[in-house]
Amino acid sequence: MGVLRIGHASLKVMDMAAAVQHYEKVLGLKTTMQDKAGNVYLKCWDEWDKYSLVLTPSDQAGLNHIAYKVEKDADLDALRERIEAWGVKTEMLPEGSLPATGRMLQFRLPSGHEMRLYAMKEFVGTEVGSTNPDPWPDGLKGAGAHWLDHALLMCELNPETGVNTVADNTRFMTEALDFFLTEQVLVGPNGDMQAATWMARTTTPHDIAFVGGPRSGLHHIAYFLDSWHDVLKAADVMAKNKVRIDVAPTRHGITRGETIYFFDPSGNRNETFAGLGYLAQRDRPVTTWTEDMLGSGIFYHTGDLVPSFTEVYT
Amino acid sequence: MQFSPRPTLQVHVAQTGECYACAGDESLLRGMLRLGRRGIPVGCVNGGCGVCKVRIVEGSVRALGPVSRAHVSADEEAQGYTLACRVAPTAAVRLEVAGRLVKPFSGASAIPARAHPPTTQPKET
Repeated sequence: MGVLRIGHASLKVMDMAAAVQHYEKVLGLKTTMQDKAGNVYLKCWDEWDKYSLVLTPSDQAGLNHIAYKVEKDADLDALRERIEAWGVKTEMLPEGSLPATGRMLQFRLPSGHEMRLYAMKEFVGTEVGSTNPDPWPDGLKGAGAHWLDHALLMCELNPETGVNTVADNTRFMTEALDFFLTEQVLVGPNGDMQAATWMARTTTPHDIAFVGGPRSGLHHIAYFLDSWHDVLKAADVMAKNKVRIDVAPTRHGITRGETIYFFDPSGNRNETFAGLGYLAQRDRPVTTWTEDMLGSGIFYHTGDLVPSFTEVYT
Repeated sequence: MQFSPRPTLQVHVAQTGECYACAGDESLLRGMLRLGRRGIPVGCVNGGCGVCKVRIVEGSVRALGPVSRAHVSADEEAQGYTLACRVAPTAAVRLEVAGRLVKPFSGASAIPARAHPPTTQPKET
């Protein structure tokens, strides 16, 4: 029971046509639905629920909310009690608040980000189906991303005022939602300040990550690719389409992921991410990165701190 | 690059004294990146992150796309603030960098804070 996996991200975009073009042509998602308010819903070929990305028209970029799917409808009631008991207010949004989606439990993380849990979303199937499927479908566009893999949220961290919503979120996700910690960055004079954490519910190194920054926001949403070669090809696709690449193909020390960071046409950071890293398990020892090796943790090959990693986000 | 047939206009960054030639059909930021120059902090280059916020002190620019209201309010826009990634020059421009990059972990950390925020690696496009 409980949380299964990341379900969708809802992003603000400033130019809807450009955004749809980006997510379809560069990442390979397909539009599955549009609503009267002008929101566009998309999914990857290997996902079976109706959508994993909602684009909403706005005068700014950033995250509206991040949603996780739970196994059973009754989990929403059980988790509501635990979240409220932890001290976080919740609201139950009725079925249909988002099209093709059941009731949603809405609340804010200690960092201020809106999170939603839901149990039901319309099933449409993957593009290869479930009976004698081919390994991949014909007609894939761009990077041909498999699925929305995880999100990284920037969380307010101010040591001078004692605010550390990375640590608060981590405790909340552990105690109220049964996520487990896979990796962490510890900084500060005593090396005991949790400045970044990676957390899982599935067996991948992270289903969500939190990194400390001057204000809360969206660092990136990540899409899964099979292999290092697919990451290279994705970078070719980005160059072809004049996509702004933030960090060209490389490897993270943290999670061992093979990665590209780039920006959508509104400046929301995307990642294409390959490699399952390791089997994340509740009893696997937590990996710790120290402040002096933080650069290697983030980008393993150069080991240099890239300023945009912690300074540029929406 | 030296023999670009495109007409260019001079862009002057007040704080650093940096001066470069920007084409009239590219953003102030793209023009800087294309030449591998520095001076304006570089972020998403798509109008969303606000890192390349500038104030146009002299000259004129035209909009190339939407600028995030989270980073440039209507009032600020009226005072000449904009994002360098979203405007192209229509006359020679003198600008001030207005974006402020705040270092994370500062105050608790051994990571040196730099007085002048570096840009991401400029790339030839």
